[in-house]
Amino acid sequence: MPCDLGERPELRMQLSDRFTCSDDVVAREVGGETVLLDLSSGQYFGLDIIGGRVWELLSERSQDLKELCDQIEAEFDAPRDRIEADLIALAKQLQDQELIAQAA
Amino acid sequence: MQLNLETPRSQEPLPTQPYDRWVSPEGHCQAEFHKPGAGFLIRFPGQADFLIAEPQGGSDYRVIGWPLPECDEAAIINLFHNAIQPILGNHTGGLFLHGSAVIAQGERGEQAEQGKQDGEASGAIAFLGLSRGGKTTLAGSFAKAGRPFLTEDVIDLQVSGGQYLLQPKRSKLRLFADSARHLLGEDTQIKDADMKQDVEAGSALPFADHAVPLRQVYVLGTDHRAPLAIQRFSMQEALSALMPHAFILDVEDKPRLKGHFARMADLSQDIACYALDFTREYAELPRVREAILDNLRGN
Repeated sequence: MPCDLGERPELRMQLSDRFTCSDDVVAREVGGETVLLDLSSGQYFGLDIIGGRVWELLSERSQDLKELCDQIEAEFDAPRDRIEADLIALAKQLQDQELIAQAA
Repeated sequence: MQLNLETPRSQEPLPTQPYDRWVSPEGHCQAEFHKPGAGFLIRFPGQADFLIAEPQGGSDYRVIGWPLPECDEAAIINLFHNAIQPILGNHTGGLFLHGSAVIAQGERGEQAEQGKQDGEASGAIAFLGLSRGGKTTLAGSFAKAGRPFLTEDVIDLQVSGGQYLLQPKRSKLRLFADSARHLLGEDTQIKDADMKQDVEAGSALPFADHAVPLRQVYVLGTDHRAPLAIQRFSMQEALSALMPHAFILDVEDKPRLKGHFARMADLSQDIACYALDFTREYAELPRVREAILDNLRGN
């Protein structure tokens, strides 16, 4: 998955960035995928198996991207650099849709 | 749950802003939801106000209705059955959807009235759709062809033994004049050509008064000129297609919404759901019925 990190370096996402799930989102695994419903907008979103696992981990507690990458690397057979790129891209998409927010 | 009907009154402006509204595809407000302090007040503009009082001391929810002076009692009772009851049903952990349903497998005409099967297991199909989307007429069309209807507006599902048992509701179809005449004949007496009216079940439009397992759900498309098409939803698509047809009392009550979302997710995994498009013309209905029955037989 391509990752658009933008032009401005200060907006780039870092592996040390910490995230938490929005309280306005409910999630449910359906047919092997995770469906998210944003209660504030009424919009639905779908996550594949890795995205669903990331959501599950984040819904347990706020975590930084490095912790999430460590967990995904331990559970799935994929190179580390690809996992990091994909999780940064996913986090950006989720943040843009206000499904997750940066945690302190 | 009891309805206490009060003396009719006009609808004065309410002191609170609605926290939710039901709006028709044409943009008309069909219902406003208010929190007047304790409980909920649901206003159906031009028809009635309903106050829902929270239960106290193990009692049930109390519902008090104030019809407008010019609104007839049957319409208010219909609102209670077709809106208030399913709203409260979902609020208290049930599974209610806005739709009609017929028996499509195992029972025909009088057999269904007597609870008999024709050899194959009984099965119901449900039609979900927006108001004036054709779901009552479609159910009536199946009934006219000998497939008894179970409900015309409220799908009430109770999970038992791994099945979703679709509960029978009132033995009436609420039809506009043209649909009533199509189903019952051109000489059918019509009270008001512009209003829906109750048409009682009978030999021409059989009704099944017992619960039947749900087999399939069809979500009616909004393009009334679309050609006939049946397309299966993925489980994920089904969940988002079903949710808008549920009755929600309190969109701000997140724990309840989460529970409701989980029940709907289970339904979307357990029952096959389809998008159904067809041209809304009476002459098309036999072809639509056959396509649906073929689809049911193929699964």
